[in-house]
Amino acid sequence: MKRREFFKTAAVTAGAAALGTTAAEAGVTHQPIDNRKVGNVAFPEKRPLITYSDRPPLLETPREVFTCALTPNDQFFVRWHMPDIPTYIDTDKFTINIKGLVKKELKISLKELKEDYEQVEVAAVLQCGGNSRSAFTPTPGGIQWGSGAMGCAQWKGVRLRDILDRAGLKKGAEWLAVQGREKAAYYETPNFIRELHLDELDDHVIIAYQMNGEDLPYLNGFPVRLIVPGVYSDSWIKMISEITVTDKYQKLFFMDHAYVVPDNECECETPEKLFPKTKPIWRMNVKSIIGYPENGAKLTLKSQAVVRGVAFDGGAGIREVQISLDGGKTWDKAILDSGKLGRYAYRTFRYGFKPKKLGKLQIMAKAINKLGEEQPLAKDIKWNHGGYKYNGIDVVTVEVV
Amino acid sequence: MKVMKKVLLTALIAATPMMAQVKEKIEVPYIAFPIKMGKGFDVVQANCLMCHSFGYIINQGRQSKKFWEGKVNKMIVHFKAPITDKDKKVIVNYLFKHYGNGKEQ
Repeated sequence: MKRREFFKTAAVTAGAAALGTTAAEAGVTHQPIDNRKVGNVAFPEKRPLITYSDRPPLLETPREVFTCALTPNDQFFVRWHMPDIPTYIDTDKFTINIKGLVKKELKISLKELKEDYEQVEVAAVLQCGGNSRSAFTPTPGGIQWGSGAMGCAQWKGVRLRDILDRAGLKKGAEWLAVQGREKAAYYETPNFIRELHLDELDDHVIIAYQMNGEDLPYLNGFPVRLIVPGVYSDSWIKMISEITVTDKYQKLFFMDHAYVVPDNECECETPEKLFPKTKPIWRMNVKSIIGYPENGAKLTLKSQAVVRGVAFDGGAGIREVQISLDGGKTWDKAILDSGKLGRYAYRTFRYGFKPKKLGKLQIMAKAINKLGEEQPLAKDIKWNHGGYKYNGIDVVTVEVV
Repeated sequence: MKVMKKVLLTALIAATPMMAQVKEKIEVPYIAFPIKMGKGFDVVQANCLMCHSFGYIINQGRQSKKFWEGKVNKMIVHFKAPITDKDKKVIVNYLFKHYGNGKEQ
């Protein structure tokens, strides 16, 4: 059974009358908050980033970084859920435990992971489902991110499929529960576990120990994390402790209550009438961010100005990025990079132009993927109570002097 | 030449120690978030800080009383924070007074 079908079956059908809503009740959507500055304290293996919390650490990447195809490890965003994250891993003793409906339980050491399995690499975007959440009004629950809860890296590791093949699946095996090592303050607090259906495992899903050619930074899940290209980061479990194979789906807080969107066509609802059925967030939608220039930047009249940024989607690949300098009346194609990092990575774009008029100038960027899906205007995005999956056309306002 | 390069690269990788980046315990810095002082702060400190920094509160921005009530309820219902009814009231009042937008709803 596919994830989506499962939730349809599992969901209670009562309250379906809440479907009909009027525009007056709708929440509104706008550009996310963009005026936050990096802090003055550097976290381990990081440069100073926009700092929302130290316990657990919540760090956002500033906009200027989104001109590069690969986000440097020390500028990569950080998001944990529990107050107690391991601050030391004994790399000689660390193991990933594979258990449940397997013929042979495994305890895989880092050495075995690096030497006994085929090593593979994939470049992929890691984005929090709540990235840009500050775009939604009324304020949905969760961290009020700007647009920097995302990054792209070259990940190296081992296919999860290969590990499961080594363990051997027993009859009836259908689901995988992947658990990390972060711990709550109270025993009763739900653990951060993610369930994957075996059908969702393709060859790109890997357990990675390397990020951009280096060990994973501790705060990004050292020594190993799950990489699920094209999918939001709540599935990319950090500091993996164990993977349990089961025949049945276990109901989980973070999947069934926290990281969910309304299970309807528009994935939308109104603050007054929340849609009764929900589904876990999964594949990312098409999005782009302008890395340069930033809001408030000064461009010189009649100079050769260049707009730069990154675009990505859930794996279909980016077809085009368009730029508008007249509030969205006309759009012009930006130049894309070669795309050699693959369909799960950022495509960087650049667009040259000559500012012809003094004063304020609005620059808009819109990505279109290979399925023809394009980013909507911020105001056309429909509200959802978790503030997930915002992908509005990015707008920066500069001053021509 | 291509073969030569490959050999060199392999040698380089082999020479890299397995986990050289951080060999000791990492120290996550303490950040003194500018939380507002006032009536009920001691209760907020005793309950909320168990699981998260004051940064979480500040990050939410100014919100309605209903919003803050919902937040505290979420901590109790979903995250199983053992907050008593009495403390809950004090916490909501504190949050609304210092991080409120003046609106009940």
